[in-house]
Amino acid sequence: MDAITIDPIIEAIKEFFESMLGCPVQKGNPGPAFLSAPCSDIIGVIGLSGTAQGIVALRLPEPTALAIIGRMVGSTFNEVDSEIIDGVGELVNITAGIAKGKFKGHSISISLPIVVRGDICRLTNIQDDVWVEVPYDSSLGKFSLIVTLKMTSRKPQEAAHEGISR
Amino acid sequence: MKALVVDDSQIMRRFIVNVLKKAGLNDICEAANGQEAVDFVTKDASIGLVLMEWNMPVMTGVEALKQIRTTNKKLPIVMITTESEETKVVEALKAGANDYILKPFNPEEVLEKIQKHLGAASK
Repeated sequence: MDAITIDPIIEAIKEFFESMLGCPVQKGNPGPAFLSAPCSDIIGVIGLSGTAQGIVALRLPEPTALAIIGRMVGSTFNEVDSEIIDGVGELVNITAGIAKGKFKGHSISISLPIVVRGDICRLTNIQDDVWVEVPYDSSLGKFSLIVTLKMTSRKPQEAAHEGISR
Repeated sequence: MKALVVDDSQIMRRFIVNVLKKAGLNDICEAANGQEAVDFVTKDASIGLVLMEWNMPVMTGVEALKQIRTTNKKLPIVMITTESEETKVVEALKAGANDYILKPFNPEEVLEKIQKHLGAASK
């Protein structure tokens, strides 16, 4: 995966946190995502399709999720409830929406977000795609961006037509 | 004067409601899609400001905007959305939006725009 291609997503996270939450974020060094590591975090997941295809996920420890959503709505949350789940979904939705506009020259659609959580949960990739994890720290807590992304140079309709004509 | 916040995300609606309360607006109602927004505006003449997301189920914000404008040309309607393409901005403004705010937004920016449009509407 071309490292440059995830910059729009990284910029989107920075803009979201700094503009809407008034909270600067410190980005750590990206590395391979350890998808098989069990965790009790809350994970917001969203799909991208079109000339950029992949998955964008935000993995939040529970205290971070409570702090972020609490900051968004001006309340204090002490436990994960439906508002927190909705909020994490919206967080990844907005991040993907902002990033979509920054992929210049690309036609990208965004799926509906889903939120994954449990006492122990794992993300598992079923293909050999490269998954990158970018750790973050902030005054609202630590979290990470997990992403796999492929860029195509042609619109999907052109690629499909070529496949049929072969 | 009542404000209407339209977004399919409950969390975003609460965020925007908090911003409006800081502007001194305490009479605020909420809608989760464009059809609900049209119904609210049709039934409640006291609504004096609408803040509307673009992408929503049932009816999009820009479709709701067009429907509202067929009977109400003066109601201030501000789009608040992640749709950043220039064509989308132009489409919304041509459909009758008074302003366009991109997510993510600084709450102060929203407050300034709301106060500007409320001031213009009262003249």
